Amino acid sequence: MQSKLILEAQHITKTYEIGKVKIEALKNISVQINRSDLISIVGKSGSGKSTLMHIIGLLDSPTSGKIFLNGKDVSCLDETSLAKIRNKEIGFVFQSFNLLQRATALENVLLPLKYSNVPGSEWKNKADEMLEIVGLSHRKYNKSNELSGGQKQRVAIARALVNDPSIILADEPTGNLDTRTGREIMDLFKKLHSKGTTVIIVTHDEDIAKQTKRQIFLKDGEIA
Amino acid sequence: MRIFETAKTAFTALNSNKIRSALTMLGVIIGVSAVILLISIGRGVQNYITDQFEALGSNLLFVQPGKVNFGRDPGSSFSRNKLEEKHIDLIKVHAAEVLGQITPIVQIGETIRYKTKSYFSTVMGINEDASVFDYLIDEGSFFTKGDVRSKAKVAVLGPTVKEELFSNQNPIGQKIKIGNDTYTVIGTYKEKGRNFDEMAIVPYTSAISSFEIKNLSNIVIKVPEGYDMNKAMKSIERALQRDLKPDDFTVLSQKDILSSIQNILQILTLGLGAIAGISLLVGGIGIMNIMLVSVTERTREIGLRKAVGATPSDIGYQFLIESTMLSVGGGTIGIILGWLGSLAGRQFIGTEVPWWSIVLAFSFAAFVGIIFGTYPAVKASRKDPIEALRYE
Repeated sequence: MQSKLILEAQHITKTYEIGKVKIEALKNISVQINRSDLISIVGKSGSGKSTLMHIIGLLDSPTSGKIFLNGKDVSCLDETSLAKIRNKEIGFVFQSFNLLQRATALENVLLPLKYSNVPGSEWKNKADEMLEIVGLSHRKYNKSNELSGGQKQRVAIARALVNDPSIILADEPTGNLDTRTGREIMDLFKKLHSKGTTVIIVTHDEDIAKQTKRQIFLKDGEIA
Repeated sequence: MRIFETAKTAFTALNSNKIRSALTMLGVIIGVSAVILLISIGRGVQNYITDQFEALGSNLLFVQPGKVNFGRDPGSSFSRNKLEEKHIDLIKVHAAEVLGQITPIVQIGETIRYKTKSYFSTVMGINEDASVFDYLIDEGSFFTKGDVRSKAKVAVLGPTVKEELFSNQNPIGQKIKIGNDTYTVIGTYKEKGRNFDEMAIVPYTSAISSFEIKNLSNIVIKVPEGYDMNKAMKSIERALQRDLKPDDFTVLSQKDILSSIQNILQILTLGLGAIAGISLLVGGIGIMNIMLVSVTERTREIGLRKAVGATPSDIGYQFLIESTMLSVGGGTIGIILGWLGSLAGRQFIGTEVPWWSIVLAFSFAAFVGIIFGTYPAVKASRKDPIEALRYE
């Protein structure tokens, strides 16, 4: 039987050295995230929420502490192994969308598949399916600069979903959107959550955080 | 990432910046086409010289004035010309066994005039033995031993000289002016190759008296078929040493001269090719420069690709394939242009593109792309994903 716990961060600290000055961005943080959770990591600018997101998203390594993903310690893996885990297990959604400008919506969604073990013959069907889930089938051949902010974020969400990851990590996903579009994106996350996807939203906006099932508040690198 | 997908991604990236990609390839295009063209020209000159020598005839030995030592001081052959008519007799008497035919040669550049027409030609004075050089008479006849002895002012014209001075008119019996003297055309000879076709042949005795020449330009000996050429050379050297010092003359075989000239041309061709190769290196530096700019411009893209699962080697290969595509693409265009250039030059100097020059230029272009693309590729692959995603 699959464990309920999908991700666990144990005693995470992260220290940056700028010249001779040491800055502790995270101080002994421990977090547990269950399968199918809808969680927000909330904090003001400089609270350490983005650093925590990068560490649990395996984009960065902690100075000390351990990260367990699906029960496996992934803290000490090399860059190549981490890239493969990110591809398979984690889907990122960024505040500034981070779409390839010269590529179409469909090509953007296909991107993670190109680094996966999914057979090429299945790529297009999978990408089409994800674009349908986010309601953008009709714009799949449009270049990303032909899409509105909300549509771009939907493409980014479809891209995050395309490899069936264990976790969706969204960094300020509504930060660059107007209120109405932001609400639509949050509704999409809730819909994904209702279908069993684990979603972690990093935000400074408490109204967004209130829409999640559980909030983790960070202040000065510590859980408040 | 699959290699085909990486190549497709690299092509898309290059295609989205067409002008920049084309300008980056330009260095390689120029380099490769220059290598191919220069090598083909070198080959053309080599072929031309070989043809000229083959047209001379076979089994020939040349007695040159001075010590001819290819690669040292070519000027030395002009500084000590002591060859005279009496040396012909020395050879005839003391090296009779190696003689097929023998002729002295005097050569001078002179304008030949017929009525209002004139043509600057090489005037070659030889004796009556035209068979030394395998000349074949087209019209009229060759001069005789008597003509040589009496210093008769008679001339046999090459096809080009005949064409330039007489067009379709029959030249036999016509009077022409060579320098200040009047000569009668007694014959023309058949096509033999460009240089030979541009000559007028006169008795050497007439040339000596007309142009006040003191020494012979050289002596040519045709050795009988099957005779050992080295042995013949030694006999002639021994005969001439009765009157001359070893440094006053050199006996060369046709093969010696040809292989020496070919060696020099080969070195020259490779040297020119190497100089052209330097422009390929410059092209490579251009590729590296643009790839470094591209890595910086696409830092966010690199960050994104890493976030969605690209490994460092995926990123590295993508940029390496881009630089290789630039160099190989440039190399291919360069080969086509070089080949077309060579084709255009074929009618003038018989250029020829050897297959190895294509392989060499193409491999060097690909090598340049890989070498100069490696640093930008490594730089891209080592980018920190977080820093890359934050890059503005």
